[in-house]
Amino acid sequence: MQHTLSILLQNEAGALVRVAGLFAARGYNIDTLTVAATHDPAVSRLTLSLQCDDAALGQILQQTRKLVDVLQVAHPAPALAA
Amino acid sequence: MGIFLVNAQALQAETTTGRRPLAGQSMSGAEVIVQVLADEGVGVLFGYSGGAILPVYDAVFRHNAEHPRADGNEAMRLVVPANEQGAGFMAAGYARASGRVGVAIVTSGPGATNMVTPVRDSMADSVPLVVICGQVGTAAIGSDAFQEAPVSNIMGACAKHVFLVTDATQLEATVRTAFTLARSGRPGPVVVDVPKDVQNAALPWHGSGELLLAGYRARLRAVEQSVLGDADCGAFFAALMRAERPLIYAGGGVIAAEASAALRAFVDEFGLPVTTTLMGLGSFDSTAPLALHLLGMHGTAYANYAVEDCDFVLALGARFDDRVAGVPDKFAPRAKFIAQLDIDPSEIGKVKPADWHHVGPLRRALERLTAYGRAHGMRPKLGAWHAHVAELKRVHAMNYDRASTLIQPYAVIEAINRHAQGNAIVSTGVGQHQMWAAQYFDFRAPRRWLTSGSMGTMGFGLPAAIGAQFAHPGKLVIDIDGDASIRMNIGELETVTTYGLPLKVVVLNNVGDGMVRQWQKLYFKGRFASSDKSLHRKDFVRAAQADGFAWAQRLERHDALEATIAAFLAFDGPAFLEVMIDPDAGVYPMVGPGASYAQMITGDFIASRAAPAAREPSTSNMF
Repeated sequence: MQHTLSILLQNEAGALVRVAGLFAARGYNIDTLTVAATHDPAVSRLTLSLQCDDAALGQILQQTRKLVDVLQVAHPAPALAA
Repeated sequence: MGIFLVNAQALQAETTTGRRPLAGQSMSGAEVIVQVLADEGVGVLFGYSGGAILPVYDAVFRHNAEHPRADGNEAMRLVVPANEQGAGFMAAGYARASGRVGVAIVTSGPGATNMVTPVRDSMADSVPLVVICGQVGTAAIGSDAFQEAPVSNIMGACAKHVFLVTDATQLEATVRTAFTLARSGRPGPVVVDVPKDVQNAALPWHGSGELLLAGYRARLRAVEQSVLGDADCGAFFAALMRAERPLIYAGGGVIAAEASAALRAFVDEFGLPVTTTLMGLGSFDSTAPLALHLLGMHGTAYANYAVEDCDFVLALGARFDDRVAGVPDKFAPRAKFIAQLDIDPSEIGKVKPADWHHVGPLRRALERLTAYGRAHGMRPKLGAWHAHVAELKRVHAMNYDRASTLIQPYAVIEAINRHAQGNAIVSTGVGQHQMWAAQYFDFRAPRRWLTSGSMGTMGFGLPAAIGAQFAHPGKLVIDIDGDASIRMNIGELETVTTYGLPLKVVVLNNVGDGMVRQWQKLYFKGRFASSDKSLHRKDFVRAAQADGFAWAQRLERHDALEATIAAFLAFDGPAFLEVMIDPDAGVYPMVGPGASYAQMITGDFIASRAAPAAREPSTSNMF
């Protein structure tokens, strides 16, 4: 099933790589990925979509929340659209 | 200079009261790093110097010159390995044995990449480390400079977190934050990559302050503040009181959480038998009547049968990994209820669904459950289950060929154990010797068993033992190693004698990669591709002597075992013992890859209660 996640990320060296690397290391294929600035220059918003089942999605959300640079993970994505 | 002109006593007094004795003073970045280490109470560093980390090494040297100690030791001892990997495992051994954060400092490029294995190993086993890497100057990053490596990329994939400090004004807060990250929540290694110009920058010292890390801290706070409510406790005990055969499955999280005493109190109150993972050995006294020792692929037969028979599992800081629950659906197949306590939300239900769970600090959760159960008069009636467990332990006890004239490795461990009595710190390499040590030693308290559990890194044992000896200078520390494992970091033999450590190094020599051979016998029709070392020429005893071991012997006759072990352990100083063991000795029991506990092979000397498992085809993709 197609899922879209929205991730608020601290703009630190290598932060984007760590998110992408986590998905790669755990075997999840990212279908689309956009990175955008937010009103806070220290924070970026990643929006990414991927195909996975619900059990895998739960793990992805939990593992992504373990990344130190990650401020917030929302699924479905619009929850962070404010 | 005039920066560190504070005498040691005065500094100690000030650091314990205010921690800002030097606030406002100007320091170099390197001095800032060392001052943060000093404030964190770091007394020993493991590392190897090099071009891009020279300023920090120089700052350590000056710090020690300016802070002489009454006992003559250096305030911040610098332990130099043969290879940076050794430094990483020394820091990890120090951390595992002490519960404190281990610190390693290495240079850029190869220094940092040699540190990758210990960092990944520590991540996989949740060991708190702070690793400081030199990096080429910020202007040179990305230019393929000499000794440049993309450390934040490489380490980002295997550490709990990595910082590349490009803004020197953030250095102090970053290094301090690294310690907080390493030890908080689920512990792990944190890497701080510091370009050389940042080490040389002139900075004001603040004496306090950490990075914000709003997301991490909010999640950490939520976990640390979560409390087991009455409803949760009630639901737990309702299920427990329905159970007739409840079992505790305790992992390394119990040790990381310093929850052993809380576990003991819980067991004393409610009477659940306890089996431990490889990482959990020592979390519960393995000599206690309700202790079932190790479970899993090479667990005791009685522990694995108890897992087969139980109807309730309480998983404590354990993650159902593939060496325990190789086939998750068949793990504890009769368990009607699985309860799971962990500090890491991602572990809940990751492998096996939990019927009840709590995410939070383990010690507090156990204490809360004990208090609730006590207050509500919960007394599970487990007499029949206790009798069953005792019978499993009696009938399916560990055993081996005691009549053989070849030296049996199990007998070596048993002989050492009779001297150590669960009080020594034991480290291991990886392979058969590691499993024999796990099976045949008694584990009476936490942090005395240092082994590379998840990563399974050969070469771990010797440097980890060195680190542990620095953490506990007065304790008996024994490295139980294999002939193949010790080769991986054999350069560290010299480190033992350089620092005069009274380490005891045992090599169980079966002339090859014993565990690989065991699998080749079982699954590859005995084709010993690359695992036979009978053509290798190394004389381990002479190697140890060349590295300065005054006591170095080879044991080849089984009738000399007891006397040799006694002399070896009694020697006052570094000692090295090579034991030529039965090369065909296997590790039993064994739950083969892809097999259930019911299909466990128990070998010729341990009673099985089932027909032997059908051998897996050699094409099995399980590992």
